[in-house]
Amino acid sequence: MSHVLSEPSSPQAVESPFSSGLEDTFLSHTGISLKPAYYAPILAERPSVGFFEVHAENYLSKGGPAQYYLRKIREHYPVTVHGVGLSIGGEQDINMEHLKRVAQLVKDIQPEVFSEHLAWSTHDTFLNDLLPVAYDEATLQKVCDHIDILQNFLQRKVLIENPSTYFQFNRSEMSEIDFITEMSRRSGCGLLLDVNNIEVSCHNHGHNPYHYLEAFPVHAVGQIHLAGHTTDTNALVPLKIDSHDEPVPEDVWSLYQYALVKAGNCPTLIERDGNLPAMKELVEEAHKADSIRDDMFRRGARL
Amino acid sequence: MNKLFKAALFSDDTGFYNEMSAATLAEQEARMNVYRNNVVVSLVDALGDIFPVSRTVVGEEFFHAMARVYVMENQPNSPVISEYGGNFSDFIRQFEPAKGVPFLADLAALEYAMLTLTNSEEFETLEHEAISQAFSSVEDPSGLTLSLPPTTQILESPFALGSLYRAHFSDDQQSLNQIDINKAEYLLLVKSHLYSQLHVLSRDEALFIKGLTQNKNLEEALPESETFDLGEVLAKLIQWKVITAIT
Repeated sequence: MSHVLSEPSSPQAVESPFSSGLEDTFLSHTGISLKPAYYAPILAERPSVGFFEVHAENYLSKGGPAQYYLRKIREHYPVTVHGVGLSIGGEQDINMEHLKRVAQLVKDIQPEVFSEHLAWSTHDTFLNDLLPVAYDEATLQKVCDHIDILQNFLQRKVLIENPSTYFQFNRSEMSEIDFITEMSRRSGCGLLLDVNNIEVSCHNHGHNPYHYLEAFPVHAVGQIHLAGHTTDTNALVPLKIDSHDEPVPEDVWSLYQYALVKAGNCPTLIERDGNLPAMKELVEEAHKADSIRDDMFRRGARL
Repeated sequence: MNKLFKAALFSDDTGFYNEMSAATLAEQEARMNVYRNNVVVSLVDALGDIFPVSRTVVGEEFFHAMARVYVMENQPNSPVISEYGGNFSDFIRQFEPAKGVPFLADLAALEYAMLTLTNSEEFETLEHEAISQAFSSVEDPSGLTLSLPPTTQILESPFALGSLYRAHFSDDQQSLNQIDINKAEYLLLVKSHLYSQLHVLSRDEALFIKGLTQNKNLEEALPESETFDLGEVLAKLIQWKVITAIT
């Protein structure tokens, strides 16, 4: 499913300073999250992963190790940039100062993908979490306006990720799927399909994750995220929490296979933010995703 | 509605709950608590990462309780979380339960300055060979001017914060125990190749390096002191790799 990505990243596409051919591994091999603890091992061992993904907000300083190592690693690998702070779903206007810094990073790094979330995180102050939005017409229009600003400013199509949520709004007028489908149609944005978020949200709202995938507008999907979750300890409603601090669990791997059936072969990320293991454990998870993709697509293609 | 949601995150206020689809008040509470926990814990953890020495000095429990009070009133102005906590030291200075650790506010300010310096722009520094070449190319080196990165700072601390900070990162428990925290120190904060460095200076060294940062040449920067050893200080600056130019 690479049609979203095959469009030129910018109308004024410039000659890339990075080695050519790198983008192929983004399409063919699963990537992992880039964390400071992995900088040295990556440069020393050059693990066989397809790409690395960074959170934009961790790479906006003028200098320091984050900037340096990201550029070093970019010489050898494709990179995807994942925004966690643009507050696309917020009622307030996009923070243009922040967007300028993000745009500069995107210009410098030339990622394969820039993605953000269907969520809000800023209202006067930044709340450092991905907060849910109501699925009504007013919010849909606001979200599309924000995506327009983002895509115009970055001069590229962005991917927007389906959220993990812990409650549903009474005021919602449509399903999450209908909201996402219409958001993508109106704004022209692509979608980042987070399989763990489907598992988490569907569990928390008593929905069937396979039915959710069945209805998802997979034609717009440009990337898949896989991650782990934890279960909340409250006895009343045992909620699943999108914690990114565990290996990808079996239920998410199973759902991933179904996602591939629906969406086709798709660039995939093993996403890990907390309780970080040795890098090789994430590389092994990436290889597991590769072998699932190989079994499904390469062998299938020969038959 | 974002405003009401936000108010619910930082209070027990149930005003927002009628927006939530849930069977009972207890269920609304349980669902909202996930967001309360995500927001507050992630910001408290961020402060712990930004102020690791302060956290160690007062202990996890005290630090978390203090950071929690701060977070409830002071959320980040920017999504760049490494810039969070710019006024944490001011908060600590006014925070009654921290009064028993009189150096804590200064320590937090120092930690913030060190992180900010690490994340600041890079300046290329000279290699040993270039430095010896510059010195050997003139007959009288006393007229040379040594430049340090413009982000370099000299601080005078009423507490032994440089020793405390360095001991923390060297994991040297013994030197940590030997620190007399009430001993005043001169500190050099300087950046070389990606990372900020913190050095404890004598008064003469501090005066001399301060002079260098004011573009004085070696002779002009010399402190009036019998015991000042120019060679020793130059050796340190060379070893720390912080000289950006010699003119």
